[in-house]
Amino acid sequence: MRREECAVEAIKLEKTYKNGVKALKGVSFCIRGGEIFSLLGPNGAGKTTTVKILSTLIKPSGGTAYVGGYNVVEESSKVRKIIGIVPQDLTADDEMTGYDNVYVQARLHGLSRNEAKKKTEEVLEFMGLLEAANRKARTYSGGMRKRLEIAMSLVHSPQILFLDEPTLGLDVQSRRHLWDLIRKLKREGTTILLTTHYMEEADALSDRIAIIDLGKVAALGSPEELKARLGGDRIYIKPSLNQDLTSIKEKLESKGYEVSILNGEVIVKVKKAEDSLFDIINLLRNSKISSLRISKPNLEDVFLELTGRKLRDEEPLDSFRYRIHSMRVRR
Amino acid sequence: MMRATLVLLVRELKKWFGRKPVLVMSLLTPVLWIALFGKSLNLTNMLMPPGSLEGISPEMMKILEEMVTARLIELFGTTDYFTYISSGMLVVFAVFQGMFSGISIIFDKRLGYMDRLLVAPIPRLSIWLSKILAVAVRVTLLSLLLLAVSLLLGMNLKEGIGVIDLLASWSYIVLLAMTIASLYALLSFYADNQEIVFAAGNLLNLPLMFTSSAMFPVEQMPDWLQKLASANPVTFAADLVRYHLIGRPVGDYTAELVKLVVIALVMLVVSGWASLRWMNNR
Repeated sequence: MRREECAVEAIKLEKTYKNGVKALKGVSFCIRGGEIFSLLGPNGAGKTTTVKILSTLIKPSGGTAYVGGYNVVEESSKVRKIIGIVPQDLTADDEMTGYDNVYVQARLHGLSRNEAKKKTEEVLEFMGLLEAANRKARTYSGGMRKRLEIAMSLVHSPQILFLDEPTLGLDVQSRRHLWDLIRKLKREGTTILLTTHYMEEADALSDRIAIIDLGKVAALGSPEELKARLGGDRIYIKPSLNQDLTSIKEKLESKGYEVSILNGEVIVKVKKAEDSLFDIINLLRNSKISSLRISKPNLEDVFLELTGRKLRDEEPLDSFRYRIHSMRVRR
Repeated sequence: MMRATLVLLVRELKKWFGRKPVLVMSLLTPVLWIALFGKSLNLTNMLMPPGSLEGISPEMMKILEEMVTARLIELFGTTDYFTYISSGMLVVFAVFQGMFSGISIIFDKRLGYMDRLLVAPIPRLSIWLSKILAVAVRVTLLSLLLLAVSLLLGMNLKEGIGVIDLLASWSYIVLLAMTIASLYALLSFYADNQEIVFAAGNLLNLPLMFTSSAMFPVEQMPDWLQKLASANPVTFAADLVRYHLIGRPVGDYTAELVKLVVIALVMLVVSGWASLRWMNNR
């Protein structure tokens, strides 16, 4: 059965791993054809699990998903034909050349020898790897390896591309370069699902974002829509002593401010920080403040507001893979 | 299926040829075995009547020597232990090589390449099959080289050896290699680190080798060992290969052949099925 409305549709996806970890607790979203859709959330939120289910690598424990209109469990082989996936971990074979890595993918996707050769050269050029094509992948720098991964995923011209934390561990320059490539792919009509825990990345690239936390979608919308939910700026006040938190909160509340306390900071919601700052500083002139900062609407604040937690790194890694990953990235 | 298998097989072999030191070492191992072990253990000399038997008549000496020779031929099918062990080594070598299917699978899994293969639009059985066939190809090439080296070192093939003998020996060696490769493939899909494969290799290779006729004839083993040997596929392969290469008679050719083929088929089917199950139930 083909479902046409969404390029990718997740319906109440659930996944409980064999070790009992509940990674997904009912994730639903619909990605429209041709858009860049981001799953934004901290590590361990369920982003990678979602991508693995959508790319047919693992099976959901509950719910269903359609990719390009095909059911990911019942029609997995049809799904595999139309998707490309750039997994979070590096997957290229370092003993093979960049060219061979891409060429094998092309052949596995059913391209004839000549087609595969042509497409491999094309995609290596697109990724700026043509000069390094005949070098073994182990000699590549971190940025090059990531581009090789993308080349391997693009060689069969997939309609839908999954990018799982594509810029993790990359330097700023490589990151910007990748962002440009992702935008270029979108212009060529590829539907892109991106997972990230960098809010700037989701903000800069996405048409729409699903904020995901603890295996659930906490909010979904365009970056503008999500930021508009905040209803204005935030002012973060950190007192010198933690016991002053409540007194500061009470002082501000008595003047009609909307105040909350989180992670040892007092957070004041205001329409425009510039307009209220003077008044707030004036109110608190007798309190001992260690720092004060203004935050314009951003996705980090949206996440904080929705979940009460920060977007940060907490996931244990397979240390063997991690070591190899960092070895590769460091070079 | 065949096409994906072929693409993956070429990948395996390309990587193998890329690792020159591994190639050299995997060839040197059995060459050293046969050269050192096979040559140092000179049974004909060991079993000759002691030189201290002075005063013994030349006729008596001749009879003693004939007795030794007859016993050697009865046991080994040749008076030359080197010929015996080098033909057995071809088979043992196939066992050693079987382990590489497992190592390759473990590393593909740990380095993430397996995930790539699992999301490719190919029959997943081809991933498994390519690993088994890679071992078959490796064993074919290395066996040819090993045979050449053995001949140079003085191995005696049976008189009037024909192409059929060579082809038959090749098929039995490859069949055994694929049986062992299936075992390691199965183990490696379910294991999560490479040490398990190495440990299993250390655990299995020695008993597989010594509870078979590959190194020593079964007939002179104690009873319990004979029983083990007569269930060991390495014995069947060694017996059959010896029959074709050096002309050592085999007890019941058809029975050994059937047992070898049945064990191979069972291992291949179980391994293929279980590997597929691992790939599909994650």
